Amino acid sequence: MSRRYFLLIFILLSILSLATCQKESKTSLLIYSPHGTELLEAMKARFEEKNPQVEIQFLDLSSQEIYDRVKLERANTQADIWWGASAITFGQAAEEGLFEPYKPTWADKVTEIARDSQDRWYGTFQTPEVIVYNQTALKTEDIPKDWDDLLDPKWKGRLIVRDPVRSDTMRTIFGAMILRQWSAAQTPDAGYDWLRKLDANTKEYTVDGTLLLQKLARQEGVVSLWDLPDVALAINRQKMPLEFVIPASGTPLVIDGIAIIKGTKQLKLAQEFYEFVTTEENLLLAASEFYHPPLRTDIDKAKLPDWLRKIEIKPMPVDQTLYKTNIQDWMRYWDSQIRNQNNR
Amino acid sequence: MRDKPIFIFFLLIVCLVLFWGVFYPNLSVLLTSFQQKNTWSLANYKEIFISPLILRATFNSFWISIATVIGSAIVGGAMALIFHFLEFPGRRIFAALAPLPLLMPPLIGVIAFIFLYGESGIISRVIIKTFSLTSPAWQLNGPGAILAVHIYSFYAYFYTFISTSLNNLDYSLLDAARSLGASRQKIFFSILLPLLKPALIGASLLTFMNSMASFSAPYLFGGGTPMLTLQIFNAKVGSQWELAMAESVLLAILSIFALIWLTYNQETTIGGSKGTASITRRTITNFWLKLTTLFVTFIAITIIILPLLTLLLISFAKDGSWTVEILPPSYTFSNYEKVFSNPRFIEPIYNSLIMSALSAAGAFFFSLPAAYLFTRTKFFGQKALIILTMIPWALPGTVLGLSFAASFNEAKWSNGGIVLIGTFWILPILYFLRTLPLVLRSTQANLEQVDANLEGASRSLGASFFYTLRHVILPLILPGAISGTALAFATAMGEFVTSVIVYVPNSRPISIEIAAQLRAFHLGNAAVYGVFLTIIIAISLLIGRRLSSTKLSNNI
Repeated sequence: MSRRYFLLIFILLSILSLATCQKESKTSLLIYSPHGTELLEAMKARFEEKNPQVEIQFLDLSSQEIYDRVKLERANTQADIWWGASAITFGQAAEEGLFEPYKPTWADKVTEIARDSQDRWYGTFQTPEVIVYNQTALKTEDIPKDWDDLLDPKWKGRLIVRDPVRSDTMRTIFGAMILRQWSAAQTPDAGYDWLRKLDANTKEYTVDGTLLLQKLARQEGVVSLWDLPDVALAINRQKMPLEFVIPASGTPLVIDGIAIIKGTKQLKLAQEFYEFVTTEENLLLAASEFYHPPLRTDIDKAKLPDWLRKIEIKPMPVDQTLYKTNIQDWMRYWDSQIRNQNNR
Repeated sequence: MRDKPIFIFFLLIVCLVLFWGVFYPNLSVLLTSFQQKNTWSLANYKEIFISPLILRATFNSFWISIATVIGSAIVGGAMALIFHFLEFPGRRIFAALAPLPLLMPPLIGVIAFIFLYGESGIISRVIIKTFSLTSPAWQLNGPGAILAVHIYSFYAYFYTFISTSLNNLDYSLLDAARSLGASRQKIFFSILLPLLKPALIGASLLTFMNSMASFSAPYLFGGGTPMLTLQIFNAKVGSQWELAMAESVLLAILSIFALIWLTYNQETTIGGSKGTASITRRTITNFWLKLTTLFVTFIAITIIILPLLTLLLISFAKDGSWTVEILPPSYTFSNYEKVFSNPRFIEPIYNSLIMSALSAAGAFFFSLPAAYLFTRTKFFGQKALIILTMIPWALPGTVLGLSFAASFNEAKWSNGGIVLIGTFWILPILYFLRTLPLVLRSTQANLEQVDANLEGASRSLGASFFYTLRHVILPLILPGAISGTALAFATAMGEFVTSVIVYVPNSRPISIEIAAQLRAFHLGNAAVYGVFLTIIIAISLLIGRRLSSTKLSNNI
């Protein structure tokens, strides 16, 4: 009888000894990124091919999780690079002193808003927000063409929205909708009214992007607002019966950046990787395979992938300072005063 | 007191582990909750008590947790009793399937639920079709949905605890009562229930705390129902870190309040000396009764295994092909091929296995002396230690992970120079702290059921402490310890919320892989990993059952 327990203990101990011997031979570089395993795997393979002595490791986390981690690890930095978060999040992290300044060779090839004045982060991709719909469920003449079309009562109960409290993308859209009508009265009231009407049509606020698109594909709802890369991936890779339009009056472009984390022990290597993923070649790869439009202005339009050349992206100006200082308050107001108040 | 040095030795170890592992990191949670913008302040608590939203969330969390305990106790208890006392065709299979929901890793479990009972889920669509409805018959939304998911996930605690206790019971007591003419109700309420009390209390506690701290179900199915864990999450996302900590403290206090209330209501059990009489199951002879029993159990088992079957179905479905049909229209092996052909495929499975095994082994060896100290001895500060062991279970996973990681992020005098952040070890240690209550409670429930006089007898007959330990105490409490350890292992295998905060490249667990696949819309691949995880957990629970049900009493 007792032999059985000793056997159990023995097995556990041998597992323990296995667990403790981890081999370390190559120089490794740790990347935190929300860009998804596939894009990261592709870049890892290409970089390691060029630098065989280096091993790229990455953790695939959401930008909020990365932010928490980097703050937490400040005293004992773990990762070398943070690749992927909105300019707002990066701005906040930069103010908290989480980044090591670096001026990339292409620093002057991005516009003013896509770079930090102290070189603490730079923009890599620009993410347009789009209107997405189920193409099998809608007739051509019904397809919404602009933001305001979503307020039409005919969408009542057919609109599904990702919960904005937990989503950078949705916060950006909601913030832009408020700022769009800001200049007239200098208050968010007109924007709140717009969001109230949107809420009246909204059937459900889903908790993540995957579920949102899944529910659209399964026709629990037929229209939504979301970001282009996710939608394009779902259409082209997953063959979901969805389609998207860039709103006619313009779309807020989310600047998606890259930064070196302060305290990295591999500064030189981190800079090399930073440069590597932002070469024209790799930006074009990210654009054609993963639907991330590049921010660099010096890329020849003719080299851009077909899908990107076919669409016209009209940027909607967003006052970054106003947005940054107010978005928390707006979201809190929306959460307590607008959400689910208008469709009962 | 010849044994005093041994007790003191174990007590020291227990204190040390709990001090570093629980008290020290959570002290920072408490201190932070009394700060605002780096100055001491009560503002966070003031906000809690004036904000109607937070108050409503607290109230919701509280009543839903109580309802979860009641519901889980009824479902889990009824199943354990029926399978234990009645004999009917298929009983053994049903009994083996009953703890199945534990196999569902939380993340995958909710996805399966959505595909089954969500608006466009299989069951919902079948009902819409059969009854030609124009709108879905129900919404998988609001407190009802949370409660359903909770009971589905937590009744297994009651089932496992009660089953282990029933296996350990001295049935001569029941026989004696029966022969003295006691009615069935009398036997149930006066003998069986008091004997099962430790198991019931243990399971209630775990369920209550787990449900208070539950995040995924309210997050996915809450549909705007404010709950405390969601408020904590929102505060954190909104950069109100101190408020989030104050809300966590509130949550922990409510949980601990339940712990204290339940332990004070726990009187000593009636003398359940371990006899040798074993159970004779009643065979149901009445045809109609048999049919009803069969029918009811069949329905119950169907409800239990449907989510698992759904998982299996999704793992074979072509991604994106399943839109408005009841079942996926086309099937493929490609999800499995894709997962298998990935050279990194085995890594997360391997990592999770090792980390869970380490944490479960730790919890097992820690729980044996700790359970003994907590139930059989009396010392100053005992209640405080018991509360400390429960805190990691009572706090939401995010708060536990963040506070622990923040306490061991650099070498300081206060943390003994231990740096855990960025190391492989941080996850096994966190799993250990988090699942410890499962093993401890299950062991304690067993120990409390056993009459302390047994040990006294052994000692007075001249047996040494270690002889008594080996031949009297251990055989009596091992079943509980082992089934608790199996639960702990299963829980650690599926753990996500804490893992995501502190995992490192070489400790990437399977739940993270599943989340990554989900985020990349690879539902099929996520399901494949889910299937693997389920199989591993099933095997571990089976081994646990085997080991805990062997006739240990033969050793006495």
